[in-house]
Amino acid sequence: MNEPSQILAPAVPAPAMVAGMNLRPAGRGPQTSRLEGAAIGQTIGTVTVVDPVFSCRDVNVHYGAKHAIKNVSLDVGKKQVLAMIGPSGCGKSTFLRCLNRMNDTIAGARVTGQILLDGQDIQDPQRDVVQLRARVGMVFQKPNPFPKSIYDNVAFGPRLHGLARSRADLDELVCTSLQRAGLWDEVKDRLTQSGTGLSGGQQQRLCIARTIAVKPHVILMDEPCSALDPIATARIEDLIDELKESFAIAIVTHSMQQAARVSQRTAYFHMGSLVEVGETDRIFTNPRHRLTEDYITGRFG
Amino acid sequence: MLEGHISKAFDGELAALHIRVLEMGGLVLDQVRQATSSYSDWDSRIAQLVADREAQVQRYAGTIYDDQVALIARRNPVASDLRAIIALAKVGAELDRAGAEARKIARTVLQQSGRPGRRTSSDARHLANLAITLLRLSLESLDRLDAEQAEQVIDRDQDLDAEYAAGLRRLLTRALEDPGALEVTVEAAFALKSLERIGDHARNIAEQIAGMAAHLARVSRVP
Repeated sequence: MNEPSQILAPAVPAPAMVAGMNLRPAGRGPQTSRLEGAAIGQTIGTVTVVDPVFSCRDVNVHYGAKHAIKNVSLDVGKKQVLAMIGPSGCGKSTFLRCLNRMNDTIAGARVTGQILLDGQDIQDPQRDVVQLRARVGMVFQKPNPFPKSIYDNVAFGPRLHGLARSRADLDELVCTSLQRAGLWDEVKDRLTQSGTGLSGGQQQRLCIARTIAVKPHVILMDEPCSALDPIATARIEDLIDELKESFAIAIVTHSMQQAARVSQRTAYFHMGSLVEVGETDRIFTNPRHRLTEDYITGRFG
Repeated sequence: MLEGHISKAFDGELAALHIRVLEMGGLVLDQVRQATSSYSDWDSRIAQLVADREAQVQRYAGTIYDDQVALIARRNPVASDLRAIIALAKVGAELDRAGAEARKIARTVLQQSGRPGRRTSSDARHLANLAITLLRLSLESLDRLDAEQAEQVIDRDQDLDAEYAAGLRRLLTRALEDPGALEVTVEAAFALKSLERIGDHARNIAEQIAGMAAHLARVSRVP
């Protein structure tokens, strides 16, 4: 009689079972060797989209001697949210700042490669940067309303770019922008009060209202919720979901759960390279690069 | 796959869940052994032991479920971690069902209905050995995340299915020879079916492990 062995005794774990519980396949050693063992070169996944707003090819950024972005090619698509994730210093914010030439303001920064916005090169020295930034709005980590009234915060951009022909036009634009930012009901009775008197979450929504008032094509967000509490964060995330119907959105976030919640595409950066990009559902369930897997599961970062 | 997190506490929680599922596996495996032995020896004392331990199996199933829900809520697992937790949940459910089949076999003995004849008893013992081996191999492959062994279990379940079909044919032939033993035949057919189902549960466990291993292989193959 073929009597089975007693390896699995009832109800008591044999020491061998616990000690031998290395469920990683051979070759997946400790943290350091995993990092060294994983080559970073070509991006895994499809960097292009059918309907791009931004189309970036072989973008390199140097800050003096530091090579901050290495041959990154990536599209930002219409009506979708692209999340960029990766450990600190991986280049995700630097890449985001390329998209509205924010790196111009940094001494020693050099950006090469092609960055097309609606088919036109934004790197062109003839290009009007103020116009560019009207088409590519940006929301920062820390809410930064102007020390002006709520109304004037939102009206600032339209005035600067001459988007309103009359006071009534401007009123309308301020109202719709605040409504779309989900702030109108909270501030409609105090539009003349200072924007800096609002709560953090309200200030951030004011900044979003200010951004969308100039009717941009793209909204860049650099960790827009990191200074906010979970409720304010949920409001902003809900807003991002609505805004994506009208704008292309690229968001840099340190919260992987936020990337998973708000984006349709996720790009994972590591040491200046774009390691992997793909549909968010796939990246968070079936990442193909070991670095992506290790980062999103919290094995380094 | 379960270790290597920056959070060592997460490693520990996943390892604890894994161990608990293995413990439940050990208990269920013994339930199947005891139940089949009580059936072939027609020993109601052993059958009673199986019935008494059913609550213990249920407790394991409940604890494992609670642990999984808590892990998902607290750690927001993704990718291989999420797959591992879901796979362990499914393994727990398969073990629960395999345990239920063992209880059914033991109940036949406890009710003293349809004691099998010598040849039927021998068929049941043969099938039980196959089922127990498959379950044991599937649990070993869960212990070590051994994809190769898991694949073996998946393949060998076909042998068990073939043996079940053959055993059932022999049982029916004997029933035709002795139409008076209808109750024995019916009960024996149920017992054989339970053993065949236990083999299926072992195969389902092995499929979860093969799935986890395949995912890791895909991730690892990338340069």
